Amino acid sequence: MKHTASWILWLVLSLTLTLTTRNPFYLSFQILSLLLLGVYIAKQKHHAFWLSQNIRFLLTMLVISSLVNALFTHTGSTTLINLPDHWILVGGSITLESLIYGQINGLIIGAIFVAFNIINLALSIRQLTHLIPGALRPIAMTVTITLTFLPSIQQRAQEIKEAQLIRGNQMKKIRDWLPLLLPLLISSLENAISLSESMTSRGFETQSTGKITRLTLVSLILATFIIFSAWVLSLFDYPGFIILPLYAIGGGLVAVTFISASRKLRTTHFKKETWSKKDALSSGIFITTIIGTIILHQLGMLPTFYYSPYPGLSLPGLSLSGFLVISVLLFPMLVGKNDSI
Amino acid sequence: MKIRLLGFLVNIFVLFLGMASLLAPFIFPSARGAVAQTSTFPIMVGLIVVLCVLIILFEAQSAILETKMIALLGVLIAINAGIRFLENAIPGPAGFSPTFFLIILIGYFFGSRVGFLFGALTMLVSGLLTGGVGPWLPGQLITAGWVGQSAALLGLITRKLNLKNKISEVVLLAAFGALWGFLYGLIMNLWFWPFLAASSDQIFSQSLSVFENFQRYSAYYVATSLVWDLTRAIGNVLMIVFLANPVIKVLHRFHRRFSFTRLKADEA
Repeated sequence: MKHTASWILWLVLSLTLTLTTRNPFYLSFQILSLLLLGVYIAKQKHHAFWLSQNIRFLLTMLVISSLVNALFTHTGSTTLINLPDHWILVGGSITLESLIYGQINGLIIGAIFVAFNIINLALSIRQLTHLIPGALRPIAMTVTITLTFLPSIQQRAQEIKEAQLIRGNQMKKIRDWLPLLLPLLISSLENAISLSESMTSRGFETQSTGKITRLTLVSLILATFIIFSAWVLSLFDYPGFIILPLYAIGGGLVAVTFISASRKLRTTHFKKETWSKKDALSSGIFITTIIGTIILHQLGMLPTFYYSPYPGLSLPGLSLSGFLVISVLLFPMLVGKNDSI
Repeated sequence: MKIRLLGFLVNIFVLFLGMASLLAPFIFPSARGAVAQTSTFPIMVGLIVVLCVLIILFEAQSAILETKMIALLGVLIAINAGIRFLENAIPGPAGFSPTFFLIILIGYFFGSRVGFLFGALTMLVSGLLTGGVGPWLPGQLITAGWVGQSAALLGLITRKLNLKNKISEVVLLAAFGALWGFLYGLIMNLWFWPFLAASSDQIFSQSLSVFENFQRYSAYYVATSLVWDLTRAIGNVLMIVFLANPVIKVLHRFHRRFSFTRLKADEA
């Protein structure tokens, strides 16, 4: 599985699962599956320390979130310690329930973090740059130039630094940094001039078509406002039949705007991505699971997914189907090699 | 003039929307009850902020429609991102980041649109290179963009008060750098905050006032981020005091070299 779209669908599935459950066992199982998949891809990409970096972040997150919640919220029936009441904010009883609740929050944020890290690992920088919409062509061009120039600029900075070190500049204070920054800036800006000349002479041209740009801008703003309003309504627990259509309209408007704005530009594609059978198969499975989970969640048919440690601690319910749904995330391992293009 | 007005309105709208989503836990305290919403909070805020960033990028890219500006911006961003990765280039404690120095100066010198693009794209490229693409990235993009954008206001002030090439110019820039050192941390913590402060019990936290929420946030901020932000602010001030003047001179020289326009055949 290597197509960008399949991986984005995989990410959406992972986020959907993380955001629909608050059951600590499911969340732990999900994080374990994600770590397993991550290690598998990291091995292929010869990326050392991937696991240790992620585990370090996960542990920090768990400690911070449980401490913050335990110190700030004082509800729950099992009291661990009593802090003096006159201590501002933290005074009161520290309960086991609020500690557990904080841990669940930590697990959720950890699962989101690891899922995005897998995307960073699985997709190449080129694939990620391709995600910039076509309507933002000057931006995409700028990013590409930056990525192309970066290695040579780093090398030049290293050379200047070594030259300064030979001359006895210790590079310890901020002031010592000036002899590095200025030559780097001047020589690179000279490069920029010759680059822009060669771009012009090779016929690179971007035009803005005033009216269309303004229309695109207005419809984007409208779409964002609709999505924002839907979100605010959902914060106030308005029913789904008002909110979901608003999300659909907003999302649709964004999609239509970007597609029509990109269509106006004629571009050539270099190394276009192709769909393999594995990509199509996995994308289909991911879409089905995403839609299924959302529908079942809306209908309240995933009882073991809900869990709250308040008011008193209880053991969360578990079902085999829950674990099966989560293990769909391991599908990229099943379809095999992830040789990036 | 018409386009300028539109651009201005767009930016005000995005500022309002972006801040409203980030500050939602304070603005709508009564809405913090529902448990399901707490989980989706960072993702939804991230999504809305992405849309906001797209709007400003779309508006601001009209400033870089010619090859000269694209090349200039691309190379400058590469320098800024490169500095970030140059190992041991600048000694500094945790939290210190040399990127803001150039973002402030570019915004100050080239105006709000280029400032925003420079700030946001620096973060985007660093994110792409370090594998830092995630729900926190939109927040970084928009905040760093705002740093560059607001620096343009400072440029306007110094032009109006005729402070160019005076000591007060550097003092103003340094104060600005210190302010953003703290503000950046404050804003970046916001998307994360409602998650940690998630209301534990639907009944009681709804009665929490905006003030109480703010008190909690302050306590959390002081405990976890103040030291980082302090080093960042001090770093910004030091870099601006020692390096700003020579860099501004270089930018000035290249600005003149870059600001020529091609004449059409009949105009010539």
